[in-house]
Amino acid sequence: MKKEFEFVDRREFFSTLARGAALLGLAHVALGDEPPKGLNPFAYDVARFSKTDPKLIGYDEVGRWPVGFSEPKRMAAGPDGQLYVCGETSVRQFGRSGVRHLDFIVGEQARCAAVDGDGTVYVGLRDHVEVYSATGVRRASWEPVGKKAWLTGLALSESEVFAADSGGRAVLRYDKTGKFLGRIGDKDPERNVPGFIVPSPFLDVAFHRDGLLRVNNPGRHRVELYTPKGDFETAWGEAGFGVKSFCGCCNPIAIDVLPDGRAVTCEKGIPRVKISSATGEFESVVAGPESFPENAGACSDLNDCVHGGLDAAVDAQGRISILDIVTRQVAIMKRRG
Amino acid sequence: MESNSKPGEPLTRRGFFRSGARVAAMTGIGGLVGALSNATAKTWVWQIDPSKCLRCGNCATHCVLEQSAVKCVHAYAICGYCNLCTGFFQPDPNALSTGAENQLCPTDAIRRTFVEDPYYEYVIDEKLCIGCAKCVQGCNQFGNGSLFLQIRHDRCVNCNECAISRECPGDAFQRVPVEQPYLLKTTRR
Repeated sequence: MKKEFEFVDRREFFSTLARGAALLGLAHVALGDEPPKGLNPFAYDVARFSKTDPKLIGYDEVGRWPVGFSEPKRMAAGPDGQLYVCGETSVRQFGRSGVRHLDFIVGEQARCAAVDGDGTVYVGLRDHVEVYSATGVRRASWEPVGKKAWLTGLALSESEVFAADSGGRAVLRYDKTGKFLGRIGDKDPERNVPGFIVPSPFLDVAFHRDGLLRVNNPGRHRVELYTPKGDFETAWGEAGFGVKSFCGCCNPIAIDVLPDGRAVTCEKGIPRVKISSATGEFESVVAGPESFPENAGACSDLNDCVHGGLDAAVDAQGRISILDIVTRQVAIMKRRG
Repeated sequence: MESNSKPGEPLTRRGFFRSGARVAAMTGIGGLVGALSNATAKTWVWQIDPSKCLRCGNCATHCVLEQSAVKCVHAYAICGYCNLCTGFFQPDPNALSTGAENQLCPTDAIRRTFVEDPYYEYVIDEKLCIGCAKCVQGCNQFGNGSLFLQIRHDRCVNCNECAISRECPGDAFQRVPVEQPYLLKTTRR
């Protein structure tokens, strides 16, 4: 039977002490606050935004093909669903399966395009618009806008052409003969026009049959609606990283409109394409960042995020196609259900 | 010969002065070489090449100084003066306000000041900055990349072998002439 009280000898005392210290040391290593060697304790972690909740995705990718450009810029849909991709010094017409039908050379780098109901192609170059027939014959070259001009988006109404000028931070209004009719979006407090904030060259414009223009205002993280005469009607969108917001310094970077008035917006940084209602409520994701890993990586390089980007085109039947300017491919999307 | 006197022999005056002159000459040459090498060392200083920096966090933790000599600097000409500055705000902040919970910087070293709708100016408080590059990463990943790291030479002790450079995974540390001690980002591309 063990005694209730015993003297501890010196050897036993020190050996118990050493055991305790060793256990404490092990516990510190196992549970310590310091991160394991090699991990950055100051890491900027946005990994949680690189996956989309599957319940929010409303489209499937049913095809993907290369456009053959080393530096594609924008894409437009033709009246019969053909896709016109701008890049380098030409515009290429593809069928939805990726078969190239036409390739016509323009004077300099083609940056954006819009296609009329009769197949006439309006092409935005750096500082002016050129007009081509359905077979690629040049019919007109309009007057240059100015030294600061940097056209990045085109849209058509029945009688007018609207050119988004990232350099001049305005949408330029023309009739179809090339006559300049005015500027839209210049900051004007008296008309309640807030002005476009364009930190990187991604101003875009779309026209809907309701008679209103949709213009992305990337620095304000929203979409603004204007009449063709330049009256500011309304705006929607908010800044944030969540799927319902527009992320980064400047998004959305591209916009198109579905036949029923819902908007299709594209973002860079976290590359994703989304659909919002006509009044701006988030509805669904067409394609999330998991569909464009290279594009997401383009904004993780050592310089800055001006090399990534997407563009979307909606045809008359409401079908959506996406141009990934990093992989230089077009993704054909199909609505689920 | 008198100068090559054998051990134990008395040293002559001539031999003494000759040896003294040799020692003085050697000392002078040694001093000159030392001075020259010192002068050469002082003409080079350490600096970070922003185009190679991987924003790994080592600058904050590996400098021999208690608070790193590496600081975030701001190229205002490149900055977009964004409302949602991804160098200032946590990813997905609950509001675009200066609340501590919304700020990315672990030491509150960035000042955000309203300029005019919708622009904000961001200024680095270098006394608080620890060079962790968290803001640099946010700015580069989603913005124009106007924030970047540089070694501040009023703090750097210019170690012969920089402790951070030994650990730099991007090989971004390099010696630059003291006349051009910074590698700054510009708007030229």
